[in-house]
Amino acid sequence: MTWKQFLFVLPLLLLVTTFSLYPIFTSGVYSLFDYQTNDQTRNAVYTGSKLNAPLLVEDGDYLLFYLRKDREIASPEAYAAIDALSADISAFLAPYEGHRQPIDLSEAGAEAVTAFLDDIEARITGLVGAYPELDLRVSAGLDNQIPEMRSTIVGSNFIGLAGYRQLFGDQRFFDDLRNTLIFTLVSVFFELIIGMGLALVMNRPMRGVGLVRTVSLIPWAIPTAVSALIWTYLYDGTSGIVARVFTQLGLIASPELLLTSAGGTMAAAIIADVWKTTPYMALLLLAGLQVIDRGLYESASVDGAGPMRTFTQITLPLLKPSLLVALLFRTLDAFRVYDLIAVLTKGTPETLSIYAYKVMIGQGNYGYGAVIVLAMFLCVGLIALLYVKVLGAELMND
Amino acid sequence: MRKLTSVLLVLALLMTGVVSALASGPVVIKFAAQGDSTPATQAAIDAYNAAQSAYKVEWTDMTNDSGAMREQLITSLKAGSADYDVLSLDVVWAGEFAAAGYIEPLDMMLDEAGLNPDDFNAGSMASGLYSGKQYVLPFFPDLGLLYFRKDIVSEEDAAKLTAGDYTWEDLKGMAEAYMGQAGTVEGFVFQSALYEGLVCNANEFTANWTNLKGGLEAMKSFIDSKATPDNIMTYTEGETANSFVKGESVFSRNWPYQWNEVKTNGTITIDQVGVAPLPGGSTVGGWLLAINKNSQNIEGAFDFIKFLNSPDGQLVLSQTYLPGNNAMLEDEAVIANNELLSMEGFTNAMKTTIARPVSAEYSKVSDAIQQAVHAYLNGTSAIEDAVAGVEAALAQ
Repeated sequence: MTWKQFLFVLPLLLLVTTFSLYPIFTSGVYSLFDYQTNDQTRNAVYTGSKLNAPLLVEDGDYLLFYLRKDREIASPEAYAAIDALSADISAFLAPYEGHRQPIDLSEAGAEAVTAFLDDIEARITGLVGAYPELDLRVSAGLDNQIPEMRSTIVGSNFIGLAGYRQLFGDQRFFDDLRNTLIFTLVSVFFELIIGMGLALVMNRPMRGVGLVRTVSLIPWAIPTAVSALIWTYLYDGTSGIVARVFTQLGLIASPELLLTSAGGTMAAAIIADVWKTTPYMALLLLAGLQVIDRGLYESASVDGAGPMRTFTQITLPLLKPSLLVALLFRTLDAFRVYDLIAVLTKGTPETLSIYAYKVMIGQGNYGYGAVIVLAMFLCVGLIALLYVKVLGAELMND
Repeated sequence: MRKLTSVLLVLALLMTGVVSALASGPVVIKFAAQGDSTPATQAAIDAYNAAQSAYKVEWTDMTNDSGAMREQLITSLKAGSADYDVLSLDVVWAGEFAAAGYIEPLDMMLDEAGLNPDDFNAGSMASGLYSGKQYVLPFFPDLGLLYFRKDIVSEEDAAKLTAGDYTWEDLKGMAEAYMGQAGTVEGFVFQSALYEGLVCNANEFTANWTNLKGGLEAMKSFIDSKATPDNIMTYTEGETANSFVKGESVFSRNWPYQWNEVKTNGTITIDQVGVAPLPGGSTVGGWLLAINKNSQNIEGAFDFIKFLNSPDGQLVLSQTYLPGNNAMLEDEAVIANNELLSMEGFTNAMKTTIARPVSAEYSKVSDAIQQAVHAYLNGTSAIEDAVAGVEAALAQ
């Protein structure tokens, strides 16, 4: 490739890096930090020292507020000490006002803040001690504001690989991984069998095939959240027809178990997923079937091959590329399942996506959430690799 | 000529000034609160908008799924958005929101307005007191209650219930005995789906986590008994209220709003309903009012939440909710608005309130309790595991 040719590819390369790699890179960075949104000392990626200036000012204002209230009840001889404290605090806060985000802090700056806090803490303690009978409000500042002001000096929250170590000891992660794998394997297996059958039928030249193709696509066309809602009605313990039929057949002991027991929810999620995505599988396979040369089938039938032989010797080998694509897409899709289960049962069986969501959004723990997400990313990569190795190494070389 | 031009110019400028002042109108305050099946919230907003002209409050209707609402709020606040000025918060969120720096402390504004935090519902105010700073005012306090059918339950049993002189075992006996009478099909309905309501109910069954084993076993015995619906483990407040107001159940555990549900949507009449304290105590719930730290209109936002807690605002809210302003508990007009306040069973329940665990990482604690309790109730794990799981969660 000449450099001129490279120039033409460059925009594409930039696009790919920005849109594909950058989010993964960001997750990777998060996973190395103890990043928790609900804690102001860890609510971003801090590599160096920072000063949470807004909180420092807020707490300083509280001290000033207490002093103002105390001046109203104090005797005149205390005025000097109170006024001096107020003036010093105001002067100290002035340069930190107006910020909405934590600001960079040098080592000298951190020492200055600490020295100042030590000084006013001592002076407030002295003031409170000098007028014990007044019950000064500023004494509350000693318990609350001064310690909180000390916490505004934020150090780095880099933890390296500790998050990954935590993952290996996290039983819930492995339980969810097992759930996810069961869901993926079982649902994709049934989708493949039924989807293949559907594709073979739809590939037949027969009357009304257009209608069959259209109708069979309907489940796939419905948004997942909506179809999950439809299924919650069908599975409902008191009025759901599917739950009723399953109970009559003896598959479950009583109708409400379908949406409440561990096994029931797994089965419910798999059935809904198979119903929904089988048409997609069938469509991908049908596309593969249609490019197979009809002449091959004619020659086979001339040579006296039965339908079974034709299927295994002609259809399957020639369908392999489509099969690989269909299986790969569906497996990765099923592995990342979130919306179906979130709507159907509000999160049981818990899959990895749901766990990652709960940790990140529910608990505000972006650091560990990123670790789970990257572990999922790794699993997805492994699955893709496995498929390519087993089903079609030559496909990637084209 | 030049003079005339400049006079005209000044006039024109004045005119545009007047016009734009007229066009700008009141400042809009956005209030994020859950949908209200009663007219109280809208009535309170209308009353505020009518009472002054500087601000106009608009209600942003949030989802009634509390967990989803919390996530929606956090996503918005974390991004530093000023989408909402006034936030209504579930009592258990305030600590976390305050710790994260999402909401504005109120002490100085309260002081300026001459309000004393001690004058408001203690439980609500305590849930919004973080690091010595007061972050909230009450929207409405709430507590768990036992509702029973006065027309079915015998007078003797009703007296026991109202006095709180019964155990979960007694209640189960009554539920089984009275079930089926007067068209009922269930004995007792409560909340045991996998969500925050499960923590409130488990808190009551275990008497504020003091009797973990006995309480959880009592809970499971209800679920396994014929006195509860087969799908009780999918029940939230909605299903519970639905069953009770349709006259399908004899007993139900729910928040005070169910009283109004009976009045507005009930197939049974309010005369058929009594309320009582719960055997293990009543979990405190309810909603708080807080101000988004990034709001552009903090003054207006405070003016609105101050109004909701003023006698005028409380009178409007009291048609559905309990007053958060203590003085209003004895206000005759408020009592006339809310007959719960004059009921013996209710005042008894007010005396036995219990809180949920207080933690800056409440959602994590709650999640762990939910998982442990739910797994035991649906038969996946043993009682020992559930007790150990809850104990570990509480120790966090």
